[in-house]
Amino acid sequence: MAASVAGSSEPGLSVGPTSEFSLFVHVKPGQGPSLRSALVDLQDTPGYRPGDYDMAVQTIHEARFVLFDDDTRLAFITSFDGPWDAYMEDFFSSGPTLTLFDVIFRYTEGYDGLPDVGALKAFILDAEQMAAAYARNYGGTVIEIRKAQRVNAAFQQVLDHPNAAELLKHPAMQALLDEAGD
Amino acid sequence: MSAATDPHLELDDIQAGALFERPSPYVGTYLMLRIANRADGRELVRRLHRIATTSRVSTGQGSTSITVGFTYHGLAALGVPQASLESFAPEFREGMAARAAVLGDVAASGPEHWEQPLGSSEVHVAIAVLCSDTDRLQAAAAQAREARRELPGVVVVWRQDCYQLATGRTSFGFKDGIGQPAVEGSGRPSTSPRERPLKAGEIVLGYPDETGELPPMPTPEVLGRNGTYVAFLKLHTKVAAYRRYLHDRATSRAEEDLLGAKMVGRWQSGAPLALAPERDDPELGGDAKRNNDFLFADDPRGFKCPLGAHARRANPRDSMDEVGSVDVRLHRMIRRGTSYGPALPEGMLEDDGADRGIVFVFAGAHLKRQFEFVKTQWLNDGIFIGAPLEKDPLVGPNDESSGFTIPQRPIRRRLQDLPPFVVTRGGDYFFAPGLRAMRWLAELGT
Ligand code: HEM
Repeated sequence: MAASVAGSSEPGLSVGPTSEFSLFVHVKPGQGPSLRSALVDLQDTPGYRPGDYDMAVQTIHEARFVLFDDDTRLAFITSFDGPWDAYMEDFFSSGPTLTLFDVIFRYTEGYDGLPDVGALKAFILDAEQMAAAYARNYGGTVIEIRKAQRVNAAFQQVLDHPNAAELLKHPAMQALLDEAGD
Repeated sequence: MSAATDPHLELDDIQAGALFERPSPYVGTYLMLRIANRADGRELVRRLHRIATTSRVSTGQGSTSITVGFTYHGLAALGVPQASLESFAPEFREGMAARAAVLGDVAASGPEHWEQPLGSSEVHVAIAVLCSDTDRLQAAAAQAREARRELPGVVVVWRQDCYQLATGRTSFGFKDGIGQPAVEGSGRPSTSPRERPLKAGEIVLGYPDETGELPPMPTPEVLGRNGTYVAFLKLHTKVAAYRRYLHDRATSRAEEDLLGAKMVGRWQSGAPLALAPERDDPELGGDAKRNNDFLFADDPRGFKCPLGAHARRANPRDSMDEVGSVDVRLHRMIRRGTSYGPALPEGMLEDDGADRGIVFVFAGAHLKRQFEFVKTQWLNDGIFIGAPLEKDPLVGPNDESSGFTIPQRPIRRRLQDLPPFVVTRGGDYFFAPGLRAMRWLAELGT
């Protein structure tokens, strides 16, 4: 039957285009070791391997899974571009995300597993806690930051050109010249 | 529940407005009514129930289509029990005026400037009459008058006529109403060979939707089933300001047309930039088999069609497939817009003071994740395309502080200081019930 949303849905605090999103859940009794090992395995999947920067969900800046209180509790903490509550339904209809969710949250209390999306939604909304404070040290969406990195790499390449100093002399280049000294 | 297993749409119970194209060309009238007396209101509904067009009937040439919807206040005025009223979608219960700040309808578009009594508790019933010619409209108007005959407790509080301009285009000069999803079981083929028909529950209540579940449906079932939510907006278009804006930034008519097409995502003829990136192709624009047969994934940076173009924002098609957090199929909608007011004469750059624009009509099962999502996340914002400072260049709530990026080689073009080209003159959320539900409403004994 249609899911009427249980639990409360707090949109999360936001800084510029980005909003915080955190889940806190209890680990099922005795499942701490299995969950820890599932997280170790997760760390070895594409997107989560050291050096990878390609998570399945491209609108999050970072994700962390924290086991605490002697592995009896789990926190999932991330930052999302856009108001995440607007994307709730999308999230639940995305296969890869759900599969990832499933391998971790199956060890936690209140999680009944797929494919009952209604129950999953209630589970997430119950576990979600809005931050009391949230700050960021740079603005911009993941898309913009990636673009900025590409642009900087290109700029460095230009600076490596033997004629770079000559080329940047044009008045129109002043803003770039200001950034060229270090 | 049987609904979950029954894929057959009850076409003779579903009003035609949601599932069928309006006639083209068309003339029509939107009437808003207030129910001052409950018994008269119910009698009105009884009569309307007999003339409302169902989805069994063809609405092509030589046709009349009458669609009826109710606001929350309208349902309350008819005596719908409180528990039932509370089972409607929260946005519907609040009404569009209460949602205006969220929807970006502020400043000149704010409810305090809306045409009276739009957005107020005085609007109870909407009747949309669309016909293929004026004779039929007169006949339908007579029917509608007949439906109100000797019902002093039902008052017409607002009226808007609409008609297709001679050009077949809307006021800015563009062909409209092309991009439209098909609905499973409606018997109407998709306009895009590349888009699977939507599950019926995306548009009509009582059937499974794209998530595999039944959309939340008002109770009792007889009231909710086969109904659809409608968002109705009167959108005034500032055509002279739009033309001047392009004129001031272009050195030729061809360049103006190109800038205009980049803003919309289609040329005036309807030809999509994705298939005709360089120049208009009227033959393509007019060819219903080809004009919606495209995707965007081959153009991720928007060199053909900018990521910020209106139609690409409103339906990014496969652009979002890699993002992992967006399912475009959850944000589709049926649009039943019409055009009102006279065309601004060709070449005129000064405002003549006439009221012209479109009556934007959304139909769908999910006000929040369809209409409100598209308006707030995709049209009024640019986070999803990595341009948080940009809004839809044509219909976004621009205030001369934001711009529009047109990707091109060697250097992108950026239009600055976009003013608002569209002003909301009023609107509301309606529920267009099935015919059985209308009978139920007429026979309420409370
Ligand atoms: C005065 C205001 C508006 C004007 C002049 C306008 C104009 C247009 C035009 C010219 C097109 C391209 C033709 C087509 O594909 O049918 C279009 C497409 C579309 N518009 Fe609008 N529009 C307006 C407001 C809105 C609003 C408020 C929404 C949604 C909340 C919206 C949603 C769409 C959608 C979903 C499409 C189809 C995209 C596709 O499937 O490719 N429009 N519009």
